Amino acid sequence: MNISILNQTLALFPDKSVLLPDGTLIVADLHLGKATAFQAKGLAIPEGDSDADLKRLGTICEQVGATRILINGDLFHSPAGHTPEIERLLETWLFTIPVPVQLIIGNHDAKLRRLPAALHPIPFTEAAGFHIVHDPADAPPGRPAICAHWHPVARIADGKRTSLRLPCFLLRDSILVAPSFGTFTGGAIIDRQKGDRVFVAPGDRVIEVPEELLRR
Amino acid sequence: MPASPLQPFFRQRGWKSFPFQKETWAAYAAGKSGLLHAPTGLGKTLAVWGGPIIEHLSLSKSKIQNQQSAIVNPPPCSVLWLTPLRALAQDTLRALREPLELLAPDLQVEARTGDTSSAMRARLRKKLPFGLVTTPESLSLMLTHADTRDQLAGLQAVIVDEWHELLGTKRGVQTELCIARLRAWLPDLKIWGLSATLGNLDEARDVLLGDRSPGAVTVSADLKKDIRIETLIPKEIDRFPWSGHLGTRLAPQVVREIEKANTTLLFTNTRSQTEIWHQELLALRPDWKDVLALHHGSLDRAEREKVENGLRDGSLRCVVCTSSLDLGVDFSPVDQVIQVGSPKGIARLLQRAGRSGHQPGKTSRVLGVPTHAMELVEFAAVRDAAHSRHIESRRPLLKPLDVLVQHLVTCAIGESFEPAEMRREIQSTHAFRDLSDDEWDWCLAFISTGGKALAAYPRYQKARLENGRFTVDDKRLIQQHRLSIGTISSDPHVSVRFASGRTLGTVEEGFISRLKPGSLLVFAGRKLELVRFHQKVATVRVATRDAKGHVAIWGGSKMPLSSELAHAMAARLRGEGKAAPEMKAVAPILAIQRRWSELPDDRILLVEHTLSREGEHLFVYPMAGRLVHEGLGALMAYRLRLKEDVTVTQNDYGFCLTARRGLHISEEIIRLNLSLGNLLKDLVACLNTAELARRQFREVARVAGLVLQQLPGRQQRGQRELQSSSRLLFEVLERYDAGNLLLLQSQREILEKQLEFSRLRDSLIDLQQRPIHLIETERLTPMAFPLWADRLSATLPAGDAASRLEQMLEELNRASTL
Repeated sequence: MNISILNQTLALFPDKSVLLPDGTLIVADLHLGKATAFQAKGLAIPEGDSDADLKRLGTICEQVGATRILINGDLFHSPAGHTPEIERLLETWLFTIPVPVQLIIGNHDAKLRRLPAALHPIPFTEAAGFHIVHDPADAPPGRPAICAHWHPVARIADGKRTSLRLPCFLLRDSILVAPSFGTFTGGAIIDRQKGDRVFVAPGDRVIEVPEELLRR
Repeated sequence: MPASPLQPFFRQRGWKSFPFQKETWAAYAAGKSGLLHAPTGLGKTLAVWGGPIIEHLSLSKSKIQNQQSAIVNPPPCSVLWLTPLRALAQDTLRALREPLELLAPDLQVEARTGDTSSAMRARLRKKLPFGLVTTPESLSLMLTHADTRDQLAGLQAVIVDEWHELLGTKRGVQTELCIARLRAWLPDLKIWGLSATLGNLDEARDVLLGDRSPGAVTVSADLKKDIRIETLIPKEIDRFPWSGHLGTRLAPQVVREIEKANTTLLFTNTRSQTEIWHQELLALRPDWKDVLALHHGSLDRAEREKVENGLRDGSLRCVVCTSSLDLGVDFSPVDQVIQVGSPKGIARLLQRAGRSGHQPGKTSRVLGVPTHAMELVEFAAVRDAAHSRHIESRRPLLKPLDVLVQHLVTCAIGESFEPAEMRREIQSTHAFRDLSDDEWDWCLAFISTGGKALAAYPRYQKARLENGRFTVDDKRLIQQHRLSIGTISSDPHVSVRFASGRTLGTVEEGFISRLKPGSLLVFAGRKLELVRFHQKVATVRVATRDAKGHVAIWGGSKMPLSSELAHAMAARLRGEGKAAPEMKAVAPILAIQRRWSELPDDRILLVEHTLSREGEHLFVYPMAGRLVHEGLGALMAYRLRLKEDVTVTQNDYGFCLTARRGLHISEEIIRLNLSLGNLLKDLVACLNTAELARRQFREVARVAGLVLQQLPGRQQRGQRELQSSSRLLFEVLERYDAGNLLLLQSQREILEKQLEFSRLRDSLIDLQQRPIHLIETERLTPMAFPLWADRLSATLPAGDAASRLEQMLEELNRASTL
């Protein structure tokens, strides 16, 4: 689905990614190594999501014909999850990706002592007229921006049946907040404000949710 | 004569020992274990407590004769007394100490529960008293300490009070496992359970005692407690509603009954109903402001204790309550029990009736208040069944692996264990006697390497295998596990407080978030005004305006009509049984039903087909309880494969399908749609079981230790976070570890809990034999009307997320173009 923010257009994909007209593919909040970090705390969570998430990203990149990938923060979950295995996984993956990959540093990434140089980590960037930064609080007001960090989730209900809980894109003023890409990431139900637009993908296409169906 | 050492106490009280007490003392003296079944208020505490006292007295006598110093060394901990409610611990302590004062003043009894002060707990860590009153959770916790085995080396008996309350729950299984541990340490340990009347007492004993049940005894107090069950008959039956659940129409009559008694307990079936009835009674008798109270599980503990004390000292005239007052506590002044709405089960009504006349020889009275016409039949039926002693059974839980993995970690923390030996111990319990190799291996892998399907989780380790024994020695993990012992999980809730900080209790977040500041609400028997709702705290003040407020509501399902009561009810509808005032009162309505259709029965299957302006309705009356009907309704709607939406509604007597058209069906089609083939597959397909299982997984994951709670030194993780992360866990496990047995368990649990799957299958088998009476009715019959009236709040069987959302959008479009 295409939307435009202050005359700049972009495409939302049902797999929680954003494609800019210049071919930049943006995803955020992968939280690699989260399961590992949980295991270290004595919780038996299966490994396997990190690998699968990266593979999924590779496939999308190929399908949409992206010219580069921007990871908009929180690629890693925590220092405890930043293991040599994850490091190797990432290296191997980067090897299979034919386009450049860059990391915008998210709050979780910032806790790591060292970020892989191959990802050219930077705090924010500009692309196709959009300001791209992890935390919506850091976006300059009044300009089109693409952010993440909130892991937005919409609660949808018609008041009669059980409500649905779906990860969503949230457009507030000129800021688009993307849902988290990682499989093993939670979400927070958005605190809706006036004028918010919400997009979800319950099936294989993105649709806008009418205001009447949104619940707190 | 083994009873003689207790004689001084009985003489002092002017009591005579009952035969069942003597029988229990003798069995205990012979080293036997068993189950004692007696109604409340008949001296059953003394029956099981007497054994250990006699044992101690004769032991110290022989020691004195042998000139050993029995008095100088205090006796070791000899009896563990397990109680299901920590709120009962203090009352139990009092009851246990009474005979000791006279007979053996040197013996100490103390309580150790979640409420015990840290000073007392520290003292108990050093030296345990002769008798220790505790809960299953606290006993589990004791097992994590390495010195517990030594401290309990002199243990003679474990006594499980109110075993019927634990049976069939995960706490019951936890109790079974703890007892198995103690039995492995002390092969001669005596185990006694106390139980109220159950339909399956022998099974209850087998579950408690596990492989020690053969050779054990069941002692029944043959004293028939006199119980009178009466019903408040509505004056004008033709104006009495055919459906509904409040019954406040009868409030003026109820007030007159309360006036007649000294102290009344008025039981309702839900917390909201207690609030409504409390308001209703106050409106009729404002002068009762100080002597009318209410009690339910969501009130703050201090509030509840105040009410309980008022009941004990007789200063309250009436307390409106829920099952929160079902258990234990002895409120001697209570001389009348009123039950609003059908109790839905015979055991429940007997339990509640037993709250009055709580002394041997006194009559227990209960007065039923029907909330709609058919409940008159239910009250007549419950009396029939109580008199013929057809009481419900409680089915034990089998193989809840979440409880097992928690227990295995508990044991490994206490002392390392050898797997084969531990397996024998685990299989000595009833719950796990059929544990398979695969399940056992999976559990061991789960607590050590993480999972069986995957070789190992690289960073995960809870229990280590060392020299063939499993052990846990990581301090942080031990601490974490101790904090998460237990099997109770609560719903997300919001604390309700005054600005002064005084807490009234808790409500559900869903309820309070719908209110705006300034809205009025009724909670804890007060009219309140919401000041603000912020971070799990709702600040309120006493309402100054006089207007009707929103009564606090809580989720949770209503209890379905039990099979036993359903049978008794069908018998009444067939006209069996002695003349009863309830049946006389309801006769005009039953006559209408008979004239327009037939009376439902559990020997036939009555089906009514009616056309209305909206379309067609099919009313089916299997008489099998609401949950079963919900499942049957969904199943039939699914199997009919109609193109248009079908609405399903259900109550305890039957279910109704409503559709625009296509319900005009024959006996053969009904038969076909209620067949047993593909039952599980069809149910899973039509009931969105995946979503339900995901919700159930929250509890399973918590018990199995997959989600943390209360990390020490950090703020407690909110329940909402727990919910979302357990939902996430479910998805991750489903994708990457589909063989995880905990996933299967949550599906099994949800089928049983949500649909009573076993009962549903049994009813389907039964329905195969029943002739179908398909009747075309011209208008809604008295049985059909309530089902029809419910259709507006009905839920459709939900499909997957995409199609549900599409349906919602479509509906919205339709509504906006109207």
